[in-house]
Amino acid sequence: MSQENILEVRGLKKYFEAGRPSLFSRNVPQVHAVDGVNLDLRKSEVIALVGESGCGKSTLSLLLMGLEDPTEGRITFEGRDITHLTDTQRKGLRRKIQMVFQDPYESLNPTQTIEEIVAEPLYVHKLDVSKNIVDEKVKKAMEDAGLKPAEVYLKRHPHELSGGQRQRVVIASALVLEPEIILADEPVSMLDVSIRAEIINLLAELRITRQIAVIFITHDLGSVGFFADRVAVMYLGRIVEIGTMLDVLEKPQHPYTKALLSVIPVPNPRLRHERIILQGETPNPINLPTGCRFHPRCPVAIPACKASDPALMQISKTQQAACILLVK
Amino acid sequence: MEAQIVKPTQATTRFQDFWGVFRKNYMGLVGLMMLVSAILVAIFAPVLSPYDPSSTFDVTTSDIYNPPSSTHWLGTDDAGQDVLTNFIFGARVSLTIGFFAAFISLAIGGVFGIIAGFYGGRTEEVLMRFTDIMLVIPDLPLMMVLIALTKPSIINIIIVIGALYWTTTARVVRSQTLAVKSRKFVLRARAIGAGKGHIIRHHILPLVLPILVVQAVLVVSSAVLAESTLSFLGLGDPTALSWGQMLNYAFGRGAMSTGAWWALVVPGFGIVWVVLGLTLLGQGLEQVLNPRLDTHHLMPSRPPVKSEAAKRSDEETLLEVKNLSINYVNDGHAPARAVENISFTLKKGELIGLVGESGCGKTTLMLGLLRLLPSAGQIVNGQVYFKDQELTALSETELNKVRWRGVSIVFQGAMNALNPVRTVGDQIAEAIIQHLPDFDSKNIPGRVTDLLELVGIAAEHKDQYPHQYSGGMRQRAMIAMALACNPEVVIADEPTTALDVMIQAQILELLDELRKKLGLAIVFVTHDLGVVAEMCDKVLVMYGGVTAEYAEVDTIYNMPRHPYTQELLKAFPDLTKPKKKLSSIPGYPPRLDALPSGCRFAPRCPAAFDRCRTEQPALHELAGDTHIVSCHLVEASK
Repeated sequence: MSQENILEVRGLKKYFEAGRPSLFSRNVPQVHAVDGVNLDLRKSEVIALVGESGCGKSTLSLLLMGLEDPTEGRITFEGRDITHLTDTQRKGLRRKIQMVFQDPYESLNPTQTIEEIVAEPLYVHKLDVSKNIVDEKVKKAMEDAGLKPAEVYLKRHPHELSGGQRQRVVIASALVLEPEIILADEPVSMLDVSIRAEIINLLAELRITRQIAVIFITHDLGSVGFFADRVAVMYLGRIVEIGTMLDVLEKPQHPYTKALLSVIPVPNPRLRHERIILQGETPNPINLPTGCRFHPRCPVAIPACKASDPALMQISKTQQAACILLVK
Repeated sequence: MEAQIVKPTQATTRFQDFWGVFRKNYMGLVGLMMLVSAILVAIFAPVLSPYDPSSTFDVTTSDIYNPPSSTHWLGTDDAGQDVLTNFIFGARVSLTIGFFAAFISLAIGGVFGIIAGFYGGRTEEVLMRFTDIMLVIPDLPLMMVLIALTKPSIINIIIVIGALYWTTTARVVRSQTLAVKSRKFVLRARAIGAGKGHIIRHHILPLVLPILVVQAVLVVSSAVLAESTLSFLGLGDPTALSWGQMLNYAFGRGAMSTGAWWALVVPGFGIVWVVLGLTLLGQGLEQVLNPRLDTHHLMPSRPPVKSEAAKRSDEETLLEVKNLSINYVNDGHAPARAVENISFTLKKGELIGLVGESGCGKTTLMLGLLRLLPSAGQIVNGQVYFKDQELTALSETELNKVRWRGVSIVFQGAMNALNPVRTVGDQIAEAIIQHLPDFDSKNIPGRVTDLLELVGIAAEHKDQYPHQYSGGMRQRAMIAMALACNPEVVIADEPTTALDVMIQAQILELLDELRKKLGLAIVFVTHDLGVVAEMCDKVLVMYGGVTAEYAEVDTIYNMPRHPYTQELLKAFPDLTKPKKKLSSIPGYPPRLDALPSGCRFAPRCPAAFDRCRTEQPALHELAGDTHIVSCHLVEASK
């Protein structure tokens, strides 16, 4: 493996059983939530994982967190295979990979104070049980997350804070363990536009000040703009295009990426443009389409798309895409 | 999105919060006082009672069943003892049994409920089936059998009652545990690395506790009743004179035939007092800990305040809002000025974007248009004209003819706005029947199919339930429902929030199509300036309940004059310059019940100067009357 990768994902698959086996058949329908994902994450790199609901991006994040067990494939963290670990083995690792959830209204326990929430990970991991060190770490994490001065917030409850402040609390409680990776699952989609930038800027600062790598999961290509190093576009459990942020935003190769880019609202009526609006929604991952998974919704599909399932192809040194039309 | 509580307030403990609400709940307070008085009587029994309950040696036959007198205020009983004394000491026995039995039953029920709810699977199956079995066994006969088999002592009675009265607690606690378990903060705790014990202690228990408290109060009252019943049936502890036991002796030893009503009424009163007190307290706690019970969407809002009609600008407009102000009445405090002096017009086929952050009053304004405000909301000034009708002056009945037929609403959060137990087709049909009673019922199914097709849902999905629809389809169904009565104006409240970008684009395209096809006028409420740029004609930017800026769409995006509009636009990621750092507006919108004295945006405004902090800017008209800005900075350039 390359020296600088801190996380490597190889051929990762997660199938869920949809329903129970019937009396007459042993075949249980399978939901192919994640179906062969390869991904490398370097130290202090930001990867945006983009896709519609049902593309498997949230399942992928639960797999990386060890909150779900993969069906197949391998996850390596700092050279150590962490695919299947027991709870005890996993516990030490949890410090290194932390998660920020989508809904700051739901992901905080309403009965705890902000201090209890941020300090909780330290107690769970039985680190620094001395009250002074805990206080200091809590304060540092809160101030790094932009809750300054920390004293103002310590004794409050989540309902006394605004959405943006709550999301900062969630981030502070992730930072307190000094993680190497933060997995942010749609961290801004529930927030007002005026506050989104704050949270995105905060995550962008953390990679610089604390060298944290970030996996930023979102359905909105527009919000990943300035701070992602690389963008991976997912469709039905697979990555269909991956490249540097400029590769993907400026010269997208896959028709799906092009469509996603075209529907991002542009805040200027003079720039109203032709949008590629895909019809329907992501198909049910139980009965996958034959050939290329995207062909039923693809605006440029040709008959050959029904037959062959394209693999990721190298487009340039930094960019890969999976589309039969790109074969020269 | 919910209005946010933004300004950090004085930190309070949960108990203080609870007490602040509880002390306004008279039912709960009365119940609490009744219970506390009974407990005080029990504690201070030796001080309060006129006689020593164990002194029986000087009793003679002439003392039996004496009516109330100066020496025996509540008369004497069958053994010639003072009824008042027995009543006071009886409180001790009854309450002790009640509380201890309740404690046991809560412990069993709580543990069963939490374990079943948290672990699920086989464990839950076994525990809950056992609970069901316990629930169907008749309590009273079983209690009688158990007490009869063991010695009827206080301890045995407590154990038997405790062991039989936990089933409801177990079921209530289990369902609460299930609800708490699926919340995101439990997943967060797992992601931190917390074990099961930690999660139960720190995340499940605190949220189950309020329910346990209510349950505790109710169980104590059942336990007091159960003990009285047992004693009355002669299964009480003969050495401990509880209220039930007093009833038993009086009843069994001729109090009825000798007319000694006091011997029956006094202990009966004790039981009723305690049980009633506990029930009231339980109800009060339930209301305080579960406050959803007293707000719902069927409460009428306050009648609008009549105000002088202003001159209308244009006869062609379909919808015209003139100087509309809406307050939320807040008991004892200054009213929250949620909407102040808002005006806009809307023509046929036009689309206006109503933009602002959460809590800036846009949802209030939208509900105010059709007078659908919650009960504390009141229109205090202004008019709403729909064609030639003035909506704030209409009666409820007249207004009902305008609602849905003239102006309809697409609500935010399509899953909550659809009834989960009825098919989508049914719900659309209902909207037609409700609002168009003359519609030929034979044509309704056809109309429903047409409406669904109009919004891009195939007719075969008509008989499906909302949960079988995807998020995008539900939103389409909501639009179909809003179109059911051919309205001329549709108000869409955040119709694309919480949808994926692609689905969002589909819904926007649909609304745009409908507007062209049907000549609909649309009020599009959103917090996202980018969404409205694609299709709006005009934009009204609201901040803190007032108009910040109102103009044609091109002006808003290319020549914005209000600093708030400018800042909002900067917060928007620009894909043409992907490397540019995003800017955000520091701070939060003001609380509507604590508005700043000057311009409402001044505390967050990068261009604010002294005047902004003291004087609220007027609405300045620029470029004729097509561009309205409320900012001191534009006054000079007018």
